[in-house]
This record gives sequence, C-alpha cells and structure tokens, in this order.
Amino acid sequence: MADSTAHVTWTGSLMEGSGTIDSVGSGTLAGLPMSWAARTGETAGQPTPEELIAAAHASCFSMALSHGLAQAGTPAEQLDVDATVTFVPGTGITKSALFVRAVVPGISEPAFLHAAEEAKTNCPVSKALAGVPEITLEASLA
Amino acid sequence: MPRIVRVADVRWEGTVSRGAGVVRATSSGAFELPVTLASRAGDPEGKTSPEELLAAAHASCFVTSLGSELHRAGTPAERVDVTCTITMDEVEGKGHLIVASALSARVVAPGADEERLARAAEAADEGCPFSALIKASASVTYEATLEGGS
Repeated sequence: MADSTAHVTWTGSLMEGSGTIDSVGSGTLAGLPMSWAARTGETAGQPTPEELIAAAHASCFSMALSHGLAQAGTPAEQLDVDATVTFVPGTGITKSALFVRAVVPGISEPAFLHAAEEAKTNCPVSKALAGVPEITLEASLA
Repeated sequence: MPRIVRVADVRWEGTVSRGAGVVRATSSGAFELPVTLASRAGDPEGKTSPEELLAAAHASCFVTSLGSELHRAGTPAERVDVTCTITMDEVEGKGHLIVASALSARVVAPGADEERLARAAEAADEGCPFSALIKASASVTYEATLEGGS
C-alpha cells in the first residue's frame, strides 16, 4: 500500500479568488499558483486539476508500457507520451487522449500495439479514470 | 462553455525498474519533475508519482469547489486548506488499484457555522468533477473543520 499526499490552499470566491498548491509529499511541487481564470482560459503558467490529471495519466501509462515491453523481452529505449485531458465546465472531464511514440529495438508493430493497449487498460490511473467517457490511444514506433 | 484542453507529457528512458522519466506540465509549463518506479512504490526520494499528481489534482479541484460553495452560501472563506491523500493498493485478481482518496479541509470563514460548512463540503464533493469521476472506482471521503480567523 502506498499513500501520496498533496496540500493546497484557496482564498476568496471561485471567479475572483485564487489558490496555491503548497506542497506534496515528495517535495517536488511547492508554491504553484492556480485560479479559475487559468483553469478555463489561458493557463498563464498556472497548473490546473486537469493538467495534473494529464500528468498523472501520462506518467502512469509510460511506466505500465515500459514494464509490459520489458516483460515481453523487448525493453523500450525511449517512450515519449502525451496525455491530453478535456474538461467541460458543468459536465466534467470528458476525455483523456494518450499519444505515445516509442523506440523499441526488435519489436514488431502488432506486438507493440498490443503492449500499448494493455498498458492503457491496466495502468492504475486508467482504471481510476474508468468513469471518463472517452480514453483514446495513438501509438507508433519511432 | 467551450471545451478546455490541458496537456502533459512524459519522456521515459530505459526499463521501468531501472529507467527514469520526466513529466512536464505542457500547457502551463508550471513543472518538470522526475519519476521512477522505485520512488513510486517506496520512499519518494524527492520524486513525484502518478498517484501524487492525482492527489494534487483532487486537492486543487476540491479546494476550488469548497471555496466556491462557501462564497455562494454567503459566508465566503478567508482561507481554505485542503490535504488529499491517495491510496494505491494491490487488490487480489485486479493488480494495483487506486482504492481511496481522502480529503481533509480546514476553513477560516467568518459567519459560517459547522452546519453550513457541512452543507458546503457536501456540495463541493458533489460538484468537483474529479470526485465525481473516481467515485466509480475508489472511495472518496472528506472532512471539513472550522478554524478561528487569523
């Protein structure tokens, strides 16, 4: 079992107020500003919950794919993964789109695509996002 | 309201057990962080993990909703502090799953009493898109307490 903790602060109303991601257990995030304006419009250097979900999904998928490829005897040299999360205010998070370009010596394209699909299905963040209407994957070998 | 899109990317090099990745907030440029499997499962060693990023997402989603609900109730908060703890566990037959997200809020809101705060917290839990999402697969709990003004 592993616990992960984050601490944030908010002051004022939704539209005019602002918040800060103060700290996380690993110490890697601290003092990051956030606001509704940044969440729904231009980001202006401020992270949003949806961007953090995209970061969580991309990092989880990349680890799961790396693991699957190694288990199959064809470890990856490099994986470049994007996650794009779509948020519709009033509706919720409607989509997470994964994109991966990989350098995997000795692998066939079908075997690679199979490993990528498995990683998409089985990574813990994908499972946690099971309620998202659309999770897509575009995978290619570099 | 138009669709809002946010992007993050990761570059991973090497195998999962010995390799390492870098996760970047592509849309905002707000962070660029190392990730490894060892630090995900064991001691963080100053590296983030998917679960920690989810904890940051849920905390920032809930804090926005709770601040908004208190404002709507006519008792705007001077300050809301939220801590979110995400738990991942190995579930027999299902592998590693995110099983719980626990939210804890401390609120400074002149004029608010425990009952109003409880109502605002309940509405925030219902209104936060991320809470709604992960309730399908994990337990979401929250508690909110009032603190004296600064």
